[in-house]
Amino acid sequence: MLLVTRVILKDVTKRFGKVIAVDRVSLQVNHSELFTLLGPSGCGKTTTLRVIAGFELPDEGKVFFDDEDVTFKKPYERGCAMVFQNYALWPHMSVFDNVAYGLKLRGLPSNEVKRRVMEVLRLVGLEGLENRYPLQLSGGQQQRVALARALVVEPKVLLLDEPLSNLDAKLRLRMREEVKKLQKDLKITTIYVTHDQEEAMSLSDRIAVMNGGKVLQIGPPMEVYMHPKNLFVATFIGRSTLLRGIIKKVEGDKAVVSVSRDLELVGRFSQDIKLKEGEEAVAIMRPEDFFLDGTNSSNVIEGFVELTMFLGPFTQLRVKVGSQTIKAYVDPDVGVKSGTKIRLYIRPENVIIFPLTGWEEVEFEAIA
Amino acid sequence: MELRSAFRNFSFRAIRFYLDATMIVQILFPTLMFLLFLILPLASVLYIATQYSPLEVISDPMYVSFIPHGELVEIRSNLIFRGKEITLIKLRGVSFGAILNSLICASIVTICASTIGVLIAFIMARYDFPGKTFFRVLATVPLLMTPFINAFVIKKLFDWRDGLISWFICDVLGIPLRIGVSEIAGVVVAQTMTFFPIVYLNVFSSMVNIDPSLEEQAENLGAKGFHLFRTITLPLSLPGLAAGAAIVFIFSLEDVAAPIVFNEKRFMSYQILSKFIEATTGRLSPVAATLAVILLALALTAFAGIKRYVTLRQYAMLSRGGRWSIRVRRPGIKGLIAIYISLLPLFLLAFPQFGVFIYAFCEKWTGPLPEGFTIDHVAKIVIDPLVSRAIVNSLTYSLSALILIVLMGISASYVIARAKLAGVELLDLLVTSPIALPGLVIAVGYFYFFTTMFKGTLLDPIASGPSFLLILAYSVRRLPFTARAVFAGLQQIHIALEEASLNLGASRLRTIRSIVIPLIGINIVSGALISFVYCMSEVSTSITLGGLGGLGELHQAPITLIMMDYLSRVEGPYVVASLGVLLMSIQLAVITLTNVILKQRYAYIGV
Repeated sequence: MLLVTRVILKDVTKRFGKVIAVDRVSLQVNHSELFTLLGPSGCGKTTTLRVIAGFELPDEGKVFFDDEDVTFKKPYERGCAMVFQNYALWPHMSVFDNVAYGLKLRGLPSNEVKRRVMEVLRLVGLEGLENRYPLQLSGGQQQRVALARALVVEPKVLLLDEPLSNLDAKLRLRMREEVKKLQKDLKITTIYVTHDQEEAMSLSDRIAVMNGGKVLQIGPPMEVYMHPKNLFVATFIGRSTLLRGIIKKVEGDKAVVSVSRDLELVGRFSQDIKLKEGEEAVAIMRPEDFFLDGTNSSNVIEGFVELTMFLGPFTQLRVKVGSQTIKAYVDPDVGVKSGTKIRLYIRPENVIIFPLTGWEEVEFEAIA
Repeated sequence: MELRSAFRNFSFRAIRFYLDATMIVQILFPTLMFLLFLILPLASVLYIATQYSPLEVISDPMYVSFIPHGELVEIRSNLIFRGKEITLIKLRGVSFGAILNSLICASIVTICASTIGVLIAFIMARYDFPGKTFFRVLATVPLLMTPFINAFVIKKLFDWRDGLISWFICDVLGIPLRIGVSEIAGVVVAQTMTFFPIVYLNVFSSMVNIDPSLEEQAENLGAKGFHLFRTITLPLSLPGLAAGAAIVFIFSLEDVAAPIVFNEKRFMSYQILSKFIEATTGRLSPVAATLAVILLALALTAFAGIKRYVTLRQYAMLSRGGRWSIRVRRPGIKGLIAIYISLLPLFLLAFPQFGVFIYAFCEKWTGPLPEGFTIDHVAKIVIDPLVSRAIVNSLTYSLSALILIVLMGISASYVIARAKLAGVELLDLLVTSPIALPGLVIAVGYFYFFTTMFKGTLLDPIASGPSFLLILAYSVRRLPFTARAVFAGLQQIHIALEEASLNLGASRLRTIRSIVIPLIGINIVSGALISFVYCMSEVSTSITLGGLGGLGELHQAPITLIMMDYLSRVEGPYVVASLGVLLMSIQLAVITLTNVILKQRYAYIGV
């Protein structure tokens, strides 16, 4: 039986010189939840994790494990186990000694140490490799040793710092499933750091999207995907494409955006955002939400296909719409050719409208 | 005010969080050791020096004189020598008083050693030619430290009566010319020959670490030959040259061996030493303090002058071996001839070390050529109780110092590499500073400080002999080598390896014991070996403090003091040469061990 713990961060701020790495972050990770800190590199997610692990002291704010204030606790007093991005396996110790290290520290008798090490190695699928040394293992095996070493001590909290980023694409997908299954079986409170939004969505119970040291939105993957609170979240999560325009009409949480003289899009405001008529706006769409042609007369975008790329399940089109370009995924069977004219329909509920402010920040990622 | 209290609060929070009991000990131990055995002694030198007017020293023509004494070159023709009429050219040197002599000679030695060092480094780093391996070995021979006796061999080489050079010119070639180098000029020649490898190695390591594409780009734009060297290669190797030149300057200032061998008292170092010889009574002339302060000021000026090129840590150890394949060229016939002519002086420069070997194993060497073979001299270092005791003393002191060095080195380097606190740079500066501090100044400081503040204790060299002080002097002076090696090791291991251990519940001490030390063991061992070599051949404090206990049956003197003492005894130089062979053997063993077995490559910087 593992002890499961809530982790609470209250207004945590961490500066490195003049750079604010973590900016007043408050969040709560619940019992046996898999909670992900997601964001681009430099967004403060790893620093936040290191504050939780006790490697960094926040300049302001507090960290709690359940009701206990652990802000000033040393790393070795916290009882959380971390899997490092580079695994941090000790090269001078065998797999067995690496995994047994934490148990030996806890003064367990040697037969108990052996039993538990073997048990956890079986759990991660490494039985028979206990006498190997880390350098004799493949990347995936090293990753499992790191995971086993963290799990074997039955930590109150499991911290995973981009654990899959050093694996090749295929192995990454397999390990992703295994991590999720292990976490569900062991019901261990887990904080997972990644920059890969797909990984975050597939694994997490809840996601905190971070940028510039701030937490922008916390919620279950579906909610963050469907109802992004701001432009950054909308463009960072999932693939997106966008068109700029001016608000023409507002009806409740719906609005019409005038993109050009002959293109108007009906969409919805995201959450508590409200814009007035005449204000500049950005309409965010998912490339997979477009339909070819359609019988509808409204929400149809006409444009020239500039480029087609076959990506397997679909073909990606780059479509020139007036002076702007959008990205759309279509069924490859249709056989759209570049240079041709095209009509794309999108449902109003799939067009999310944001104010233009902050556009420059996300422009690059949105178009990429 | 508010900002200030906020800052203090921050510091207190940070210290409370980032420091644990282990790290506090790791900071306090080396800091207190350096406070007691470096800072306070140096402060007492300054204190004593301020008690007397420096003008008394500076106005004494013995120390500073603007009227030159003696002649630089003495030429005597039609001289009858051993029944032949010859011309004698004697390089003697001009004296401006001890302080100016030291300064002028150190400058000349630095320039000469730098020129030779850069030339050889450039050839070795940039050209491939038949016999290169041979010349590389030959160029590293002068690195072997044989205090006193190599200067002795150099003196013999340049002796106009029985020197090899005059013998070769006059008796072998039949030219009626004899050349002699003596007095101040002798000191300059001996120091240049002894110290040039320091520049050579530092510049060589800089040159092999230059990204080849930088030179290729310049060539691509049309630079070649000396222009390429002057505009690209030399400026890029300036850090190595600056470091090497600064160390040569300081070593030359504080060198006692060459002035003793050439019996040239008109040097600051010799003057400080002679004050020590009078000090067995328990009093050291305040002139020693004044001279020590001047020496210290000159050394620190040299380092301040090159600060923009290198940071202190680079002096202690420059790790060698580039990440890329080094650019080497195969020169044509003309180039080959130029290379061989440039490298020819290496035979002369490496001669002292071979000379020491010959000296140790020949029956006698009074004329130009050695005669006979014997192992009697070498046997004497075991049979002669004074000498064998000195060897045991040196081994005891060095090994004891090594314990302190390893403990301090691991502690200080760990804190410097890992503590996330402002101010650890100061600790770094402190533990690497002994590289820049002349040993003679430390010796003077120890004398004043421990004969007064610790009068009658084990640390008082007059009351209890110099044993304990020498151990501490060695451990402070030779710490930088180990500290830098450990630091380099710590930089190579990823901090996550330690964090993983702390994260699993291991304390700091446990993490250091079971993760850090096993992973940097090789660095610790190789650093300690280098420190050991430099302890065994330490000169400055050994011949000053080391002599305070006298040379009785139960003397506490180390090897180098015996070497200095035996130099003037009948048959003594043979014993000194044998001790030189012993020291060289230890050095060769350590070099082999670190380079071949431990696969660590460090540039040795010299005495």
